[in-house]
Amino acid sequence: MLKKILLLFMVMLAFVKPIFSMEQDSCIQIILQKDKVSFDEAAHQICERKSIGDIRFAAAILEKRLYKSQTIALTKYKGNDDYVPVFSTTSIGFSKDSIQEVKLSRKQRLAFSSLSKYCNLISAKPEVRIMGYQLLISKGVLSDAPIVKAFIKEELDEKVRLSAQSALMGIMLRSEDLKDQDEALLQMAKSRSGIFVNALKDYAELNAEDAGRAEKANSIIRYIHRKEVFVNFIQNLFSGISLGSILLLVALGLSIIYGLGGVINMSHGEFVMIGAYTTFCMQQIFIAAFPPAWFDFFYIMSIPFAFITSGLMGLLIERLIIKHLYDRPLESLLATWGVSLMLIQLCRTIFGDVTAVKAPSFLNGGIEVIEGLMLPYNRLFIIGLTAFMVVITYLVFNKSRLGLKIRSVTQNRNMSSCVGINTKQIDSLTFMLGSGLAGVAGCAMTLIGNVVPDMGQTFIVDSFLVVVTGGVGKLVGTIVSAMGIGVLSKIFEFFFQAVYGKVVMLGIIIIFLQFKPKGLFPDKGRHSDDD
Amino acid sequence: MIKDNKYYILFFVVFMILLPLAYVVGLVDINTITLWGRYFCFAIAAIGVDLIWGYTGILSMTQALFFCFGAYGMGMYLTLSNLPAGTTLPAFMTWNQVSELPLFWQPFESFPAAMALALFVPAAFAAVFGFFVFRSRIKGVYFAIITQALALAMFLVFSRNETMLGGTNGLTDFKTILGFDLRSSNTKLALYIISFGVLCLVFVYAKNLVKSKFGKSLVAIRDSESRMRFTAYKVTNYNIVIFVIAAVIAAIGGILYLPQTGIITPGRMSVQASIEMVVWVALGGRGSVKGAVIGALLVNLMYSIFTSLMPGAWLYVLGGLFIVTVLYLDKGIVGLFDQLKQKFYPVKSNS
Repeated sequence: MLKKILLLFMVMLAFVKPIFSMEQDSCIQIILQKDKVSFDEAAHQICERKSIGDIRFAAAILEKRLYKSQTIALTKYKGNDDYVPVFSTTSIGFSKDSIQEVKLSRKQRLAFSSLSKYCNLISAKPEVRIMGYQLLISKGVLSDAPIVKAFIKEELDEKVRLSAQSALMGIMLRSEDLKDQDEALLQMAKSRSGIFVNALKDYAELNAEDAGRAEKANSIIRYIHRKEVFVNFIQNLFSGISLGSILLLVALGLSIIYGLGGVINMSHGEFVMIGAYTTFCMQQIFIAAFPPAWFDFFYIMSIPFAFITSGLMGLLIERLIIKHLYDRPLESLLATWGVSLMLIQLCRTIFGDVTAVKAPSFLNGGIEVIEGLMLPYNRLFIIGLTAFMVVITYLVFNKSRLGLKIRSVTQNRNMSSCVGINTKQIDSLTFMLGSGLAGVAGCAMTLIGNVVPDMGQTFIVDSFLVVVTGGVGKLVGTIVSAMGIGVLSKIFEFFFQAVYGKVVMLGIIIIFLQFKPKGLFPDKGRHSDDD
Repeated sequence: MIKDNKYYILFFVVFMILLPLAYVVGLVDINTITLWGRYFCFAIAAIGVDLIWGYTGILSMTQALFFCFGAYGMGMYLTLSNLPAGTTLPAFMTWNQVSELPLFWQPFESFPAAMALALFVPAAFAAVFGFFVFRSRIKGVYFAIITQALALAMFLVFSRNETMLGGTNGLTDFKTILGFDLRSSNTKLALYIISFGVLCLVFVYAKNLVKSKFGKSLVAIRDSESRMRFTAYKVTNYNIVIFVIAAVIAAIGGILYLPQTGIITPGRMSVQASIEMVVWVALGGRGSVKGAVIGALLVNLMYSIFTSLMPGAWLYVLGGLFIVTVLYLDKGIVGLFDQLKQKFYPVKSNS
């Protein structure tokens, strides 16, 4: 494809003569030499001619970066001190000493203002070019068509070319020729892209008398809107799943710990924070000690490290404080809140207020499923990581000896103790496991937000709601309710505003608990409520 | 009689007579007086927390929210009565392009109506919420979590601009209350004395409440809810009533708190604020009305001392207080003193 374009480009170069002889072009020379007598005339001619070279030249003038070396027009770009010829075809060498700035007065510069709308189109950055074209869709006039066509031929970037073609469609909509209009409408209906809405609205207004045409444009607008609603819905669903998976990672540990020992661990969020700061430290270590090429590995490395650091920290807290609090949930809530305050303050003392982790390069960008629907890699990664951790947790709990012991202690502590399980040890290990899961959640959260000392607080209340709704200590319940709450709150945010979405969500949970006070998947059988 | 209550009388004399007297002769700054006035408001709220958590065993994270309901009620009245001449709307509403005073603001133009609403709204809110939650026998941890979420949600709602409650900036900039200048020392002293008086009244009320049959039932619910149910007590109704009483007491604290602070923001109703209230009571001694008052005064005094001497250390101290209280001071300071008393002056129990 690229080769073809190049070939085409070369063939074109051979035929379109005026572009090549630009340096000898009298108009250009008049401007360069600032010949006052014929300046206006030359400027007028350049503006009329509008070849790609002319636009480069005009852009250099308008942005005050036109230089010359004898008869060669030169310019330089922002952030780069090298002088380059304005006309890409110039092959004559020039010496640096002979370079002079071509200073033009404001009035003289303004003579080129009619070309200013094309300036973006020659930018080195593709996104600026795209922006320029998007502006042309609704603002372009019929006389822009040839120049846009010329640019389409030269454009190498696939995306920019598509955008240029859209600009052309927008322009053709203003054509006198009804056939051109129909063709443009057809193309727009095919692409159903939101960028055409303004152009179509203008078109419908312009053709208000002609009911058929206006209706056609309006129906395309409706199409586009319908697609947008759909795309938005999918996008919300996706961010809901992504939110749900973070909630799930946080709630998983909470649920395990509460299920086992009846400990409400308010400092769970701080283990998330510790995981995030481990990731941050790992990043700093890689920056300091390893070659830049290895930088991306820091993130992969930090996942197990976050698990271990948070886990060990959890073990420490468990040994010092939590072990006195098993089966005293309300007291444990207060004590762990104290732990949380101290950890936050400790972290603030060590790291200061805001730090950020730079996402590894392989997680930048995303998959564009259909136009306008972008699934970012980092969110996909979080979902994948969560799925992985859930599977691991499931395997540990249901297929390993440790898991068997944990489940046994969860069900009946005394009986487990009787059959020779060291319940104290199991308590510690479980707490470590739960904290470690929180650490991994922290590692994941660095991808979508800043690393701040009180980051754990953001999700802690929601995670508790997940635990309560799902049924305590139930893996399936936690998964279902995390995804449910994640997706529902995003959907409510879509219909109401973010805040009211939260309130509605809470209302629904309270109503839900009216019917299922023990959560989605309660223990079977009757238990005494009292301790 | 006097011998039994000597500590109460000492407490009353110190704060009702000695401290104002010390101010009048110039020993104490008016700011110290206001500071204590504020502590008393917290102590009132702490009594509410003690009734619901200490006596009934329900850990509610909405006490700070009810405190704020009271404070906002007072704040709305003060906002409307302090409008600069020629304006009919608070400044933040004008910024939000509101042309007419919202309907729910209108009753707050009159003082009695504002006070009635400041007490009625939290009561009604607590009654409705309590009805749904206690009916489905949500209690203990579940109740704590649900109320936590409620506090968070309300915090978010109050922080919004379009709810017309001043957004995150809250309500502030009050100059007069019922025609008295809020900045004058006499008004401040009067507010202090009123706060202390109300604290005493609430204290006596709470004391009587817990001594009554109703209070004993609350303790029974705390110790074994299902046994209470089996003996045909309507536990749900008890829970709702005490939840409402605690809410109203918290709101009273809030009403008195606002004119002495001059500002109320949604930050006051956060989950953290509620949990701090609980730790006041835990430190002072749960299940003891005087413990709640002592705890509230002590923690807030410590807060003032630490934030002015070493600002960075306060959160460590507070966190440490949480842990130490829970792990080692099961009955709080009051319990500690009782234990010491038992140790040094063993009293033979003969009742």
